[in-house]
Amino acid sequence: MRANFIFSEVWIGLRRNLTMTIAVIVTVAIGMALLGIGLMINSQISGMKDYWADKVEVSVFLCKKNDPFPQCKGTGGVNEQEQAALRATIEAMPQVQQVEFEDAASAYENFKVQNANNTVLLSAIQVEDMPESFRVKLKDPNAYAAVIEELKGAPGVSNVINQKEILEKFFGLLEKLRWFALMIAGFLVIAATLLIGNTVRLSAYNRRRETGIMRLVGASNLYIQLPFVMEGVIAGLIGGVVAAVLLIVTKVFLFDGVQIYLANNSQLSWETVASVISLTMVVGVLICVLASFVTLRRYLRV
Amino acid sequence: MIHFDNVTKVYANQNRPALDHVSVDVDKGEFVFLVGPSGSGKSTFLRLVLKEERPNSGAIHVAGKDLARLSNFKVPHLRRRIGCVFQDFRLLPNKNVYENVAFALEVIGKPRRFIRKVVPEVVELVGLEGKAHRMPDELSGGEQQRVAMARAFVNRPMILLADEPTGNIDPATSIGIMKVLDRINRTGTTVVMATHDAAIVDSMRKRVVELEDGKIVRDQSRGVYGQAY
Repeated sequence: MRANFIFSEVWIGLRRNLTMTIAVIVTVAIGMALLGIGLMINSQISGMKDYWADKVEVSVFLCKKNDPFPQCKGTGGVNEQEQAALRATIEAMPQVQQVEFEDAASAYENFKVQNANNTVLLSAIQVEDMPESFRVKLKDPNAYAAVIEELKGAPGVSNVINQKEILEKFFGLLEKLRWFALMIAGFLVIAATLLIGNTVRLSAYNRRRETGIMRLVGASNLYIQLPFVMEGVIAGLIGGVVAAVLLIVTKVFLFDGVQIYLANNSQLSWETVASVISLTMVVGVLICVLASFVTLRRYLRV
Repeated sequence: MIHFDNVTKVYANQNRPALDHVSVDVDKGEFVFLVGPSGSGKSTFLRLVLKEERPNSGAIHVAGKDLARLSNFKVPHLRRRIGCVFQDFRLLPNKNVYENVAFALEVIGKPRRFIRKVVPEVVELVGLEGKAHRMPDELSGGEQQRVAMARAFVNRPMILLADEPTGNIDPATSIGIMKVLDRINRTGTTVVMATHDAAIVDSMRKRVVELEDGKIVRDQSRGVYGQAY
């Protein structure tokens, strides 16, 4: 096998089909980038789910003075007995693992941390505006329905919020995004396959004289087909490199950016990005090789 | 060297066979003319030898190999032992004489050292010394056919198939082409040449196999073109 011979053939082929080659590279790059983004969202979702799994709580907010919630109207806020009774009720529930009381001052501290860069909001809200609450941690975060049902109407309770529901809305959005990215990636993979098929066909037509002579003098099938397949592989590899750059940019500017707002430490690791990139590269090159071989079988009888 | 035993070939969508129960033997080192009108089956014969086509019935042996039992994977190795020359030369227009001949060795993976040694020898054998760096369009038809013969012969095949090699060449130049073929034959290479050219067949006085409608109507050693009947 003469490597330099093969490579000079490949180079000639790529140059002759420059526009098609560029089309293949762009399609492969975008398709693989979307596939990679889908996979990255995937690992982001599972990372965040793990992070939140032991942190989700049911918040039971208590009535304060002049509370606008209808069930608090006219009560003048929760009183000591109600608060003690609530605590007892919650602690008696079999689903409950742990209960903590958060008074207005610590609620305000948390609020200040969460909205540190929103000075307007901070200056508008005072300690008295913050509701007191019970933070209820459940043994099984999925068994929240009965707990909420029971606490919602209890005296002195203004509102019950299940963090899990809020999170699930957010995860649902992420999952939709992931499916969307993967779907478009799928379409682009089809487009890339067809484009590569066309490129190889053009290439085979351009070089029919050479391949005819190669057949005649007894060049092996591998020797005849390899330059065409290599064209596909090289286009696929370049597309993969562009996709890798796109994925790194996406991680730095999109995923890490989103992390700042979510204020948690389940950041997408570089190892994940690296494995996603290598996976998309392999997929890209495989698609190119397969598409080339299938087309060659049709257009380059050996 | 080439052995056809009762070979019949019918192309798809045609009811008349291109070759009809043909049996013929070509020995090592022979020079055989294959004559007959267009459509008589000469090209089919050559294509069958190369295993570019498969017979519908009958057995073909080439260089000791049963082609029916030769796997597709080994067909390239068969073709390395057979050189081919055509009416339309089939040279690569963007390569010069040397590169055209060397191409045949490059694509079967011969080392460059070997190529550098044998290509000039063969270019000289076909009478193109000093023209190794000409491009095909700078050569006459006869010279181009010599390049094609050099390419066919450079790997020292056991068999050389020539499909109307003088079909595009004027009679005076054809004599030179035939001299080269004769020279190749004298190295021990079996030569099978399909042709319409009566003058050439008559002048060479070699074995003549005549085909008509896919059947062998004459097989004559030291024959001439058209006086069999």
